[in-house]
Amino acid sequence: MSPLQKMSPRWKVATAAAVVLLAAATGCGSGSGDGGGKTKLSFFSWESEETMKPLIEAFEKQNPSIDVEFSHAPPVAEYIAALQTRLVSGTGADVFVIAAENKTNLVQGGFVKDLTGKPFMANMSKFNTETWSVDGKAYGMSISSWSAGILYNKDLLAKAGVTEFPTKWDDFIALCQKLKSAGITPYYESLMGMPLTAAALVGHENARQGGDVDAQIFAGKKKFGDLWNGPLTTFNQLFTSGVLGKDVVSLKGEQIVDEFANGRVAMIPAGPWDVTSLREKAPKMNMVFAGVPTPDGKPFWSGAASPGWAINAKTEHEKEAEAFLTYLGSKEGVTLFNKKTAAMTTTSDVTPVIDKALEPNLQALKDGNFYLPQVAWPRVQDALNTEAVAQLQLMVQGQAKPADVAAALDNRLAQG
Amino acid sequence: MTALDRRAPALTGALSWLTSPKALEGLRLQAFLVPIGIVFAVLFAIPLAQSLYFSVTDFNGYSLDVNFVGLENYRKIFTDPSMLAGLGFTLVFAIGTTVIVTALAIPLAVLLNKRFFGRNVVRAVFFFPAIPSIAILGLVWGFILSPLGSGAINWTLDAIGGLGPVPWLSNGALAQLSVIMVAVWSSTGWHAILYLAYLQSIPGDYYEAARVDGASPRQAFFRITLPLLAPAVTVSTLLLMTGGLKVYDLPYTLTKGGPGYATFTITQSIIQSGIAQAKFGQASALAVVFMLVVGAIVAVQLIVSRRVEGRLS
Repeated sequence: MSPLQKMSPRWKVATAAAVVLLAAATGCGSGSGDGGGKTKLSFFSWESEETMKPLIEAFEKQNPSIDVEFSHAPPVAEYIAALQTRLVSGTGADVFVIAAENKTNLVQGGFVKDLTGKPFMANMSKFNTETWSVDGKAYGMSISSWSAGILYNKDLLAKAGVTEFPTKWDDFIALCQKLKSAGITPYYESLMGMPLTAAALVGHENARQGGDVDAQIFAGKKKFGDLWNGPLTTFNQLFTSGVLGKDVVSLKGEQIVDEFANGRVAMIPAGPWDVTSLREKAPKMNMVFAGVPTPDGKPFWSGAASPGWAINAKTEHEKEAEAFLTYLGSKEGVTLFNKKTAAMTTTSDVTPVIDKALEPNLQALKDGNFYLPQVAWPRVQDALNTEAVAQLQLMVQGQAKPADVAAALDNRLAQG
Repeated sequence: MTALDRRAPALTGALSWLTSPKALEGLRLQAFLVPIGIVFAVLFAIPLAQSLYFSVTDFNGYSLDVNFVGLENYRKIFTDPSMLAGLGFTLVFAIGTTVIVTALAIPLAVLLNKRFFGRNVVRAVFFFPAIPSIAILGLVWGFILSPLGSGAINWTLDAIGGLGPVPWLSNGALAQLSVIMVAVWSSTGWHAILYLAYLQSIPGDYYEAARVDGASPRQAFFRITLPLLAPAVTVSTLLLMTGGLKVYDLPYTLTKGGPGYATFTITQSIIQSGIAQAKFGQASALAVVFMLVVGAIVAVQLIVSRRVEGRLS
């Protein structure tokens, strides 16, 4: 009698289960190795599966020997945390997303491959590539950008007798007062995150001073006050003039969009991500985008290059990862991405199909009239952003002055 | 005679004790503690040791090439205004919710223990807020407390007397109060059910005897109900205090820690600095300090509770 035959039925079941489990574990453990003759390329995305699925399927069709293993975590904090854990434990995907929040750590930690000079990078816009570069080396391939300005309800403005959107800040405040007098809530802005209007005003001041003030601040040659005091004093007029109440501090972005969709507010700061939902909620609304009015009448926008795709420095499938990026940056890949996300793609050979309302935003991208502090800061982005938001909330409450906000940012930068 | 020979009888004695049925039975029973011991080691002891180690390093969560920085991380957390604000609100929240929930849950449990029509439905209604995720409750309450016309409370205040809008979440003090009140709303029913379970174990004879002796309902509550509920108070307040000290989801979904740092919590600070800001060492130092503070508070609370329990019973 063999040892197997000697076993009791209970032991036989237990042994079989153990074998099955062991086999399953061994199978799972192969990770991004070969499976059925195909090379498995792991891809960790912060775009949803629904968005990326058509691109992955088209890529796999063109590259039958590659099987893309998709995984996803929503942006931003959850994605950053998941990626961080995976990279440190040596289980990072072959291709993943590089964002403002993890750029410095990914590059300094040697987790991402240098993509400088790769053929697929030739199609990318110079601005996008520079955004994901450190010391002249490109670490991310970004195919789109975004810009956010003021979205206004043309019909509500017309009710107050306004047909031309102002470009000067003083005229904008006057417009808000006029709307208020007509019984229309003029403007809402969320301060739960970096206010887009404030970001655009700071960007305008940065451009006025030559465009490299952040670099000088981080080099210790300038203080945050040199860049932020003026724009924040301007921004604060929204509150000191009574256009906005202190209670907007607790408004969430989605609440503001709902108010706008229901015609209860005439203007809101908005970006491309708001357009699709607004078209669904208020299909008949006559909405128009405009740049944020500035003191000298040259409108500015908040905006940045979208996060890039990076290749894991420790990937064993470099050729396949490059093939994947080549597809994502190709005419076909970018067109598909634009179709799924309505993103304002910036590659040289694709003209993005966008909502008509977003044409001014696209023009702003082409003109380079956009800025986002979190992306312009080379390091300590999250700590500075958290501090800026907290201090701006206090400023709106009347508990801090614009100079206090800038001083708090200097302190936060000094803490590192 | 060698030293070994001299020790031989003692060794033999120890061995025979170890192999005795009594010792074997003891060991067998102790073996049941092994699984929980492993869980304790994996989920508490090892992470705690790691946190202690990381708290004296410059580990950023990415590079394993770490340097010893001494107590620098501890110095930073005690000089950072946002972390001190977080510690302050966390304590206010934990103490506030513990006191208010306890003060409301006991009378509620007494009421729910009485016989009346639809009692089970009422019990379910009070228990319901404890069921949904607290993060979802935070989002819902964000709309209820909104300063806009769509905010239910401000709309009601406006409708009944042209009052408001009240800046529930945009004024620092009111935001703190709002977060505490939402937490109280969501926890009171659950803790009332806990008290109810204890109430139902109090023999009815005690109340019968008290009534015969001419005790008023108030006297019956303070002389019978409350003393016999003392163990439940210990359990409930311990759960409330430990839950309150590690609060994160409710303030985050309601206010994201604002306005300013008014509703910023220690757990939010640990998560933010450890993950988003890649200051793992600093976050670990904060976690260690936090653990000591929580340990001290809970120890004091347990000592006080036991003494009160002893005095009442």
